Amino acid sequence: MIAQPVPSLGGSHDEGLARALAAIVGERRVLERAGELRAYESDGLPGYQRRPSLAVFPGTRDETIAVVRLLAERGVRYVPRGAGTGLSGGALADDVVLLGLHRLTRIISIDADNARAVVEPGVVNSALSRATAPYGLQYAPDPSSQTACTIGGNVAENAGGPHCLKYGVTLNHVLAVTAILPSGEIVELGNAVGEAGGYDLLGAFIGSEGCFGIALDVTVRLVRTPQAIHTLLADFSSVNAAAEAVSAIIASGIVPAALEMMDAPTIQAVEASIYAAGYPTDAAAILLIEIDGAAAGLSEDAARVTRFCTEAGARAVRAATDPADRARLWQGRKKAFGAMGRLAPHLVIQDAVVPRTRLPQVLAEIASIGRKHGVQVCNVFHAGDGNLHPNLPYDASDPEQSEHVHHAMKEIMEACIAAGGTITGEHGIGLDKLPYMERLFSDETLGAMCALRTVFDPDQRSNPGKVVPVHSCREWHAAPSARQRPA
Amino acid sequence: MTIDVLADSAAAVAERVRDARSTRTSLRVAGARRWLGAGRPCLATNELSLTALRGVTEYERGDFTITVRAATPLAEIDAVTGREGQWLALQPFGSADGTIGATIATASWGPLASAYGTPRDQLLGCEVVTGVGEIVHAGGRVVKNVAGFDLSRLMTGAWGTLGVITEVTVRLRARPEVDRTLAIVAEGGVDAFCSAAWQWLRGSPYVPLAAELCSATLATRLGLEGRTLLLVRLGGNEAFVRAAEESIATLGTALNVDADVWTRLRTLEPAASAVVRLGSLPSELGPLWSAASSVVERAGGWTHATLERGVVRCVVPAGDGEKEHTQIRGIIEQLHAPGSRVVEQLPAPLWDSVAAPAGDRLSSAVRRTFDPDGVLNPGILAPLS
Repeated sequence: MIAQPVPSLGGSHDEGLARALAAIVGERRVLERAGELRAYESDGLPGYQRRPSLAVFPGTRDETIAVVRLLAERGVRYVPRGAGTGLSGGALADDVVLLGLHRLTRIISIDADNARAVVEPGVVNSALSRATAPYGLQYAPDPSSQTACTIGGNVAENAGGPHCLKYGVTLNHVLAVTAILPSGEIVELGNAVGEAGGYDLLGAFIGSEGCFGIALDVTVRLVRTPQAIHTLLADFSSVNAAAEAVSAIIASGIVPAALEMMDAPTIQAVEASIYAAGYPTDAAAILLIEIDGAAAGLSEDAARVTRFCTEAGARAVRAATDPADRARLWQGRKKAFGAMGRLAPHLVIQDAVVPRTRLPQVLAEIASIGRKHGVQVCNVFHAGDGNLHPNLPYDASDPEQSEHVHHAMKEIMEACIAAGGTITGEHGIGLDKLPYMERLFSDETLGAMCALRTVFDPDQRSNPGKVVPVHSCREWHAAPSARQRPA
Repeated sequence: MTIDVLADSAAAVAERVRDARSTRTSLRVAGARRWLGAGRPCLATNELSLTALRGVTEYERGDFTITVRAATPLAEIDAVTGREGQWLALQPFGSADGTIGATIATASWGPLASAYGTPRDQLLGCEVVTGVGEIVHAGGRVVKNVAGFDLSRLMTGAWGTLGVITEVTVRLRARPEVDRTLAIVAEGGVDAFCSAAWQWLRGSPYVPLAAELCSATLATRLGLEGRTLLLVRLGGNEAFVRAAEESIATLGTALNVDADVWTRLRTLEPAASAVVRLGSLPSELGPLWSAASSVVERAGGWTHATLERGVVRCVVPAGDGEKEHTQIRGIIEQLHAPGSRVVEQLPAPLWDSVAAPAGDRLSSAVRRTFDPDGVLNPGILAPLS
């Protein structure tokens, strides 16, 4: 193990560091100038800008290891970054080194016989499914950013997506990870073959938002491509009716592959954009419902789902006629956040989860909070698992508007917590939701999270200041033995 | 060992843990005492009984989640959720009198893991008391949650060495409309059958709830024909199950079997058994199965395999004499696997020959962080250093 250095702030431009990094990755792969670094000041969430002190982009596993070890030797803080599509400000580097992993794009192996694959962290989510499609297999988690986001980023965020309602999130699809810890130590987490024994450190690593280390390779489980798919579009004249339909479908025990809701402002934004999907623009809400699996028995389930929608008051339920029609219906949903760019330059993106039985009540509360503060709310979300995305378009250069949006966001969070929910279902805490952690968790729980982080990263150099508020990371408990650094 | 007064709340558990810490004693965490024979010998001075922590805290039927106190027996959860047409799709090997807390703590699973995964896939959140006596709330009560670092996964399978689980929230599923079980006899070589069965599982559109290969000895004990056979549990609507039955008949003659067979499979092993799980890639399970079966059957034991997970579970009834122990030790030494070997249960004196699963640097650091003084279940995962 590498000796612990005196931690430096690692910030501000450091000429010697840049040269040492360039010696590993080549000069073109180290960015130092303000103009070059601008592209890395934001991630997928508009509204935050943080400038890295420099950016480094290793192209191979060995280069990545060498970079992490160099940063460890010098005690430099850094932020790992995949494609930068995250929606919580988690990949922003505030005057620290940004370590980009998007060049590590190798699919190391596909084992079709055992339905698994080993990939480097920079492999793009949808590229993996494309590569495994000829074997009748796909990688199930499908975040809306799947054409750009990376598997490494998905692991860091424990990413979900519309189809995780049936198939599960990243955690349920990763068998093993080879990780490099901030100290430079390389560890195997989980087991790519057979069962993993001992503590579930893989489970702890997934969703650790880049604070525990960097995945050098990821072994994932693949699922068979469904034999049949029914995609339904149900159209409602009230949000409440759509929410009632969701509750009825879930309560029936049918598990759709996806069950998505969009409200009128979202539908209108999508239909006015290049992603127009043919949604009814006079609807108060639509549900996009997909059921998949074996062909046998699937039309019976589709008929039941249609009936639940009609009984809840749907004006119409139509089925996608062919794969192109299905792709169009989905494009509108997956590009909805992008379409909102038409409404205002900035967007607050929420990600709370509530029990599915509370959807009608919580959606009504959110609408009333929006009215109270005079802010627009666009709902587009994973209704099937209660994962809300009330989005608030606004102009950050208008202080008054920003103020209103800020208050509305806070009240929406409070309403979701009060309904028994959580503050993020798939986007992560990052920077954006940091202030709400103390609303959700006790000091003891936050302390335990910090303690776990310290096991992986004693100096908290990796993605510093994210996920858990720094002041929660007090000495967790008084035991002298607990303060000893692991030998 | 002394048994303390029953702790009836997380706060009471926390007090016990802090007491133990300050008096330099240690605690054996016990629920229904069903799994005390499993794991390495625990060298605690006192027992912390959780039996008073029992019952349903909150059941959100429409959300398919339930929050229960740790010592609630699985049978009670089955009864409560069954009335609503739901179930906790875990059904681990062992008695249904076992508790949910122990199931999560030991990450125990059964044949349903084929479709639904293991406890780590079903746990939404838990309340635990750490080894320093702090009450921590990991995760939450909703079905999707990435807020903060994942302490729930860390507690799953930690055998109570990082914290005493006092309450859990788990995901429920709808009981299938139609639930039928078939037995398919492995005609010809078991190797070839194994491979054909895996190909069917991997490639067919019909995902079964369970697909468990059973050795001839086990089949007899289950009251079935004494030949190697595949038990397949199909769940869904009538049209799905019928089509799946037709499809699976390509593997061999399929006979309908009463669903009770799954309960018998869970509960038939004697309390004193040596139990070892061997793992490989599912496509390579055949050779592992043959090698393990021949070793185990010679000793009067049996094997069964969860094909989807690539795991062969070997069960050998274990007597208490020195001669029997010597025999078991010999068997354990012969049970190898390309992927993994997890020892579930052994006669106490034999554990010294088995490598500890959590002996790596990172795991030791986690343990020291959450239980710096070794108060909780000392020795159960790794020998005391």
